[in-house]
Amino acid sequence: MNLLPQFDFKRPQSLHEALAALTKEGAMAIAGGTDLLPNLRRGIGLPSQLVDLSALAGLSAVERQPDGGLRIGALVSLETLAESPLAPDAVKQAALGVAGPTHRAQATLGGNLCQDTRCVFYNQSDWWREGNGYCLKYRGDKCHVVAKSDRCYATYHGDIAPALMVLDAKVEIMGPKGTRSLALAGLFQEQGAKHLTLEAGELLTHIVIPPQAGWLSAYEKARVREAIEFPLAGVAVALKKEGGKIAGLRVAITGTNSAPLMVPVDELIGQVWNASAAETLAKSVRKISNVLKSTVSSVKYRRRMALALARKLTEALWIKAA
Amino acid sequence: MNALTPNNGKIGARTPLIDGVEKVTGKAKYTADLPHVGALVGRILRSTKAHARILSIDVSKAAALPGVVAVITGEDTPVPFGVLPIAENEYPLAREKVRYRGDPVAALAAIDEKTAEAALKLIRIDYEDLPAYYDPRKAMAAGVVPLHDDKPNNVLREVHNEFGNSEEGFAKADLIRTKTYKFAEVNHVHIEPNASLAEYDPERGYLTLHTTTQVPYYVHLKVAQCLQMDTARIRVVKPFLGGGFGARTEALSFEIITSLLAVKAKGKVRTLQSREDTFISHRGRPAAEITLKLGMTKDGKITACHEEVIQPGGAYAGYGIITILYTGALLHGIYDLPAIKHDAWRVYTNTPPCGAMRGHGTVDARAAFEDLMTIMGEELGLDPFQVRRGNLIQSVPYTTMLAQKVMSYGLPECLDKVMKASGWAQRRGHMPKGRGLGLGCAHFVSGTSTPKHWTGEPHAIVNLKLDFDGGLTIFTGAADIGQGSSTMAAQVVAEVLGVEIKRINVIAADSALTPKDNGSYSSRVTFMVGNASLHAAQQLRQLLAEAAARKLEANPSDIVNHDEHFMVAGSQDKGLPFADVVKEAMVNSGAITVKGTYNCPKEFMGDKAIRGSAIGATMGFCYSAQVVEAEVDEITGKVKPIKVWVAVDVGKALNPLAVEGQIQGGVWMGMGQALSEETRFDDGRMLHGNLIDYRVPTMQDSPDMEVIIVESIDPNGPFGAKEASEGMLAGFLPAVMDAVYEATGIRTDQLPLSPERMADYLDAKEAAQ
Repeated sequence: MNLLPQFDFKRPQSLHEALAALTKEGAMAIAGGTDLLPNLRRGIGLPSQLVDLSALAGLSAVERQPDGGLRIGALVSLETLAESPLAPDAVKQAALGVAGPTHRAQATLGGNLCQDTRCVFYNQSDWWREGNGYCLKYRGDKCHVVAKSDRCYATYHGDIAPALMVLDAKVEIMGPKGTRSLALAGLFQEQGAKHLTLEAGELLTHIVIPPQAGWLSAYEKARVREAIEFPLAGVAVALKKEGGKIAGLRVAITGTNSAPLMVPVDELIGQVWNASAAETLAKSVRKISNVLKSTVSSVKYRRRMALALARKLTEALWIKAA
Repeated sequence: MNALTPNNGKIGARTPLIDGVEKVTGKAKYTADLPHVGALVGRILRSTKAHARILSIDVSKAAALPGVVAVITGEDTPVPFGVLPIAENEYPLAREKVRYRGDPVAALAAIDEKTAEAALKLIRIDYEDLPAYYDPRKAMAAGVVPLHDDKPNNVLREVHNEFGNSEEGFAKADLIRTKTYKFAEVNHVHIEPNASLAEYDPERGYLTLHTTTQVPYYVHLKVAQCLQMDTARIRVVKPFLGGGFGARTEALSFEIITSLLAVKAKGKVRTLQSREDTFISHRGRPAAEITLKLGMTKDGKITACHEEVIQPGGAYAGYGIITILYTGALLHGIYDLPAIKHDAWRVYTNTPPCGAMRGHGTVDARAAFEDLMTIMGEELGLDPFQVRRGNLIQSVPYTTMLAQKVMSYGLPECLDKVMKASGWAQRRGHMPKGRGLGLGCAHFVSGTSTPKHWTGEPHAIVNLKLDFDGGLTIFTGAADIGQGSSTMAAQVVAEVLGVEIKRINVIAADSALTPKDNGSYSSRVTFMVGNASLHAAQQLRQLLAEAAARKLEANPSDIVNHDEHFMVAGSQDKGLPFADVVKEAMVNSGAITVKGTYNCPKEFMGDKAIRGSAIGATMGFCYSAQVVEAEVDEITGKVKPIKVWVAVDVGKALNPLAVEGQIQGGVWMGMGQALSEETRFDDGRMLHGNLIDYRVPTMQDSPDMEVIIVESIDPNGPFGAKEASEGMLAGFLPAVMDAVYEATGIRTDQLPLSPERMADYLDAKEAAQ
């Protein structure tokens, strides 16, 4: 309801044009807008120019690669992704778990991956934040989550990133310096105020998932309601079972830190999944996660759920793989 | 007196709401949709302090900004308002002090939103911080800084009532148990945010206000009072309204502010409030700490009840005195209790003011009562149904110790029906692991017989007009807020006149056209406006019967009417079509307008000798019983309701379709309070002011619901009807608590049972083992 700030609006017809438009100081890309627009209406962000990507061709398909992997355009809607027969289970489950049907029809995969970090002291109106002296993430110099901190602890609550990370996905990025590709985990860093490693003018264009032969995957998030919710904690697991042992295991978490994180699980490879393995996994999740008071839900509950979901999903895939 | 029996097919028929199509097609105009050409943008500046003295406000820069037309502060609002004449302590704009984060301090009207926004940023306020209180016990402690000077210990109202002899009652008990409960504060989350459009005509000195209200009459009174205007120069209109649930049963500051801005700007001002603003206006159900003590004989008969309630109610009085009285008033009237002691404290805190919310004041108290009754029954070897059946009112009419009259009582039938429908006898105690069934009962008033603004006027007035065209127009002040009151009035008139509903127009809630109505609160409309509609229709029917009798050369008392015809009773002749009767009725008369009224008889207004009996005085109670089946996930702590069987005694379902919807909505709102909804503050800062962090359940969370309508036919209700939308809300809370007990073995004492709270209960249970 609040007024949007003033900005120029461009709807480029080609990637080349889009990249040029993004080089303008203060330019921001907008795809579905489901994350960006509510923030702009709350007085968060003052883009000089919004570059609307919706007219770009070639970024809206889920395609099978010759090697059996997938290449997914950044503009594929979450609805399409959730319904795609090609998408691995974890990705479908994660996409279907985002917000509600209308959001999923509008929101894009690229936008979901790049969504802003969240915090109860940040996702508030300008009046609210001004009355609280703003915060480290935007316009202020103080973190209200961790007092005396010199970095922002806003939390990354995207659902799909961990699901893709456990599939060993890579992202393709275009920018002023050309094209580069990196592991999806490398798109993120543990800084609430700058959680993306994208450089100025860069645009995420595709996500590439390698062939998944022999792997099973799943995603689940802790939530109060069955729709709308961002993950209070979310866990993705991919498992490859061979000869009654864990031949491959990847676990990623979201909703706990300023970035989605891979959980180190090397010591479980070659092991049998049992109570002690579950405890090892839980320890590993506990060690890497850093849940703080950035949501109205309790820290204790979110921690509990990160551990519980990691165990539960791995167990379920282990049984399913048998 | 006996209720009328309908025989024209309009009452008791499933009738789509007469304004339903406009709503679902988007044609309906809500306040924000009204034409607003030339309207200035109204904006409110709110306090960023929870409790502070205002040292100075400098609006000069804002006023000087080009495009700003009017700026107002507390200096312009010297008269306070409040819904209860005995506790008016809220200023439209704060004067001297602010008392919660969000308290309106200044407001302005500008040519557009951008200018208004920029101007707000130019207002400078110097505050001197005062200690702020969020916990009622801290607010009540010795040596506190009072929020309001007249209440040095911050207690708005302390209640100590006793009915019967509780000491004797407890002495007779074989089992006495005491349990303390904590209920979170909840909000209505009516889906249409607050909005006002005010237009002032400086030539006539006349103000027209369109606003989002359930009670246009209160808004009318308070705008006149605060602006010191003649009520005759104000017109209040309620357009289509997207819900209320009690939030809009009192005039709110944004309505008065918008009106004042229009007067100052000598023009039109529109103020649209955000969801956050709407949450800040609050008026929701206060948090409550309830300690309940019950005594029971070994066969389960309650011998005495002692309830203690502490309610932090926010920064202003609002409805607070009534809310706290209601926590005791509706201990009466559902079971036959010999002794009730009620001690309660309504406390000011530095948070947004609480108010009336569906099930006003009674929900938390009912949940505690039902839960403890179930627990004690179990100790005595009595099933939840048994223990309730042992405490039922034995016969009607029945008078409670608070002098409330029970003229119809369908609770026994409600219990029988949900027991059977839910398969309770076979399933309770034999549920699969992690699942349970639970029972809860509740009741609510069909309007209050003692309106808060006592004027000596009838409780309801409806005008009914018939003209040459055969069209009927009902003029009612009753605000249709989505509950279907306009449809109800049309059905009543159509039934009595034996005409099609499509012949009827309803003009509602426009003070220039419709007679004043006391408003849509405490479920009074069907009972009172329904009866007034009935009275109006009967008078018109008499005039039409006389006209028909002239044409048919018969005695008016021999005339019957149905299917748009008037005829002589028992005659083979099909009589006169409605249009012909109208033509005859117009002769020497022209357009006919009749006035229907309804008055609650004195004996239903409580007993002056009994303290507090004006609260909870009603013509009749709606009763409900519900069984909830729920499942508890041991890993996530999620409580998932699977199915609800709810039976509600609504007296007579005038429109079963609407009644079912109201019952589903009531149960659903109880579910939200029981499982996921709660307000959250961090040092007085509202954290929940959006629909992500304040968790109203979604469609995905809704259980299957089986609604059973029970019709006890109240002798005084229109065709026997009572209220049908509040009396089932509270039952969900204890029912799901009981289901959780069967599923997990855990007796809970704090709501909502959100996953995190339930996980804590599960952890505590594991630790104890």
